[in-house]
Amino acid sequence: MTRFRTVVCALLVIALFAATGFSAALTDSLKTGKADIKSVGVMTFGPEGILFVGDSAGGAVYAFDTQDRTASPAASVDVTGIDQKIASMLGTMPDQILINDLAVNPISKKMYLSVSRGKGPQATPVIVRVDGKGAISQLSLDNIAFAKVELGDAPASQGEGRQNPRTQAITDLGWVDGKVLIAGLANEEFASTLRAAPFPFNTAKGAGIEIWHGSHGRFETQAPVRTFVPYKIKGEDNILAAYTCTPLVKIPVSSLQPGAKVKGTTIAELGSGNQPLDMISYNKAGHPYILLNNSNRGVMRLDAAGLENYKPITAPSDIAGVPYETVKSITNVTQLDKVDDTMAAVLVGTTELKTIALP
Amino acid sequence: MKTLLLILFLAQSQPAITLDPAGTFRVTAWADAEKFTPQQWGQIFSIQVDLADVPPLLGSYHLEQGALVFVPQYPVQAGVPYRATFKVPGRDAVVQRFAIPKPDMTPTTIVERMYPSASVLPENQLKFYIYFSAPMSRGEAYSRVHLLDENGKEVERPFLTLTEELWDPQGVRFTLFFDPGRVKRGLVPHNELGTPLNDGHRYTFVIDHDWLDAEGKTLKADFKKSFNVVAADRKALDEGRWKIVAPKAGTADAVAVEFPEPMDYALLQRQLGILDASGNVVEGRVEIDRDETRWRFIPRTLWKAGSYKVQVGTVVADLAGNMVDHPFDVDVFEKVDERIIRETKDLPFTIK
Repeated sequence: MTRFRTVVCALLVIALFAATGFSAALTDSLKTGKADIKSVGVMTFGPEGILFVGDSAGGAVYAFDTQDRTASPAASVDVTGIDQKIASMLGTMPDQILINDLAVNPISKKMYLSVSRGKGPQATPVIVRVDGKGAISQLSLDNIAFAKVELGDAPASQGEGRQNPRTQAITDLGWVDGKVLIAGLANEEFASTLRAAPFPFNTAKGAGIEIWHGSHGRFETQAPVRTFVPYKIKGEDNILAAYTCTPLVKIPVSSLQPGAKVKGTTIAELGSGNQPLDMISYNKAGHPYILLNNSNRGVMRLDAAGLENYKPITAPSDIAGVPYETVKSITNVTQLDKVDDTMAAVLVGTTELKTIALP
Repeated sequence: MKTLLLILFLAQSQPAITLDPAGTFRVTAWADAEKFTPQQWGQIFSIQVDLADVPPLLGSYHLEQGALVFVPQYPVQAGVPYRATFKVPGRDAVVQRFAIPKPDMTPTTIVERMYPSASVLPENQLKFYIYFSAPMSRGEAYSRVHLLDENGKEVERPFLTLTEELWDPQGVRFTLFFDPGRVKRGLVPHNELGTPLNDGHRYTFVIDHDWLDAEGKTLKADFKKSFNVVAADRKALDEGRWKIVAPKAGTADAVAVEFPEPMDYALLQRQLGILDASGNVVEGRVEIDRDETRWRFIPRTLWKAGSYKVQVGTVVADLAGNMVDHPFDVDVFEKVDERIIRETKDLPFTIK
């Protein structure tokens, strides 16, 4: 009996380690304190409720332990006047806040919004979350477990007494295969600035990757990535990325090595005068789709089946590419993220946060 | 210093709510505060922005000399209407509204300058830099800038719009890229809409005075810059055509690099520097003039005779984004992945 107890206890200990060991490995690098974050922009969730947030003003990406790890089913949410409600909590008017991004915690299904209180360079960064009942609460950044990776690669200015005006706007973040991918655009040179930062962050700086874009079979330019979504093609990790010059490309994650020069394969062109803002991937009735919202061309649904089969677009006459349709029932979507395979969260204009059924 | 307007609600038996100059809300003449728990204080006394159906301000409660005090987490702001509600079960609610007068909203901010300064630009002009005299608001940049053709007709979607907006850390310089999909050859946007600028035509770039600065004030005036457009420039920079004008030893005169064409202002600011014969950085300041065709470096100390180098970062670019080692659009006969991209180039000169 004693021996049996010992064995049971030993098994319990092993089981406990197995259950908590993985979590400990990821969150151990996070230190609790006041996060010195300067701005909150694009966001994405990693595993275990870890929220990655781009700080363009501070030139860094933060990892926050939201401690939001209680699994919940997706719930329909519709919060009208979300901008007024957040503004009131922050003691200001709706025209004095900016809602910068929306990310849904895939575990709890809570919707997180990155918000600037104020619109000038001294704006205060705030993160709020909205639960399945539409209740809004603040994620305190004053006492939170966090880590950061700095992107500071701006060469020092030689001029005296001048502050370096070069910054990078972080345009998207993604979690792929244990790494945070960071897309950015500098405010001086038109250069690709995709970075891959392994997490837990182990180095001070993310490693840069040069991304190029080929067109017309002949001309190539460095091509900043505007937004992207991790996507598996035939079991291989890829990112589907939209360049600032509009084409949609696929890039194998395995090619995103520090210092590499990578050319994405163009699989679709989404038309002129348009910028894709967010992309999500999902499966409906066993069929894969990509949903993307655009600056000028509404919400598009791309058929993502057999992406490996599309011939790369190499000439302007190749307007074929991946077929897409415009989803007319959803308009004025400024932010989009996936809740699960049946539901997405959207911000309509600046005023309504709601879930929608995926088309 | 902002003046807080203090409004007192006076009633003999009623508790009163005040907003003090430090921005804290207070219930006075209420003796029962200690009978309730801190959780109940939040239900009894709450402050909202005076809008319909909104949650209360975030903040904390404490007792101070018998008065219940609410300290907002984020400071109260001038121009924002607040509604304070005090409601004890079984008694009538006390509602008090507060407004702090807005400061003087007379516009003071102007567009100080923009680059390029030249009035002749290539068809494939890549970006503009706009400098304001004070920090600006984010979130409205792309609706405040317009490109008009010679007939005053607005050019359709000429610029790259980014939710993130490209500002410097002080919020005084805005970078506006032309839509690269229209500037780059061989893309659908380029073929559908053509380049935003066309050779042989004249354009006017307009900034609306409605653009708000960081204090919420409009600009003092619209800003306009007209320019003529010439053929696209698709050649890599040839540093062999740059002229270095060396100063004399014993002076603190500028060394100058003169370019055959205007250069990108921001990159010129930080991509060129001076090294001495031992490779040490010479300290000094940079001036850029003559429509960004001349870079001048004024040393902090007097020049000594000897050999020096202008060190050039190869991302220095002309107005169309052509760089030292390659043009904006690289011809793939020169393969990207086989090319060695140097980060700097050295241009030697001598001071006698």
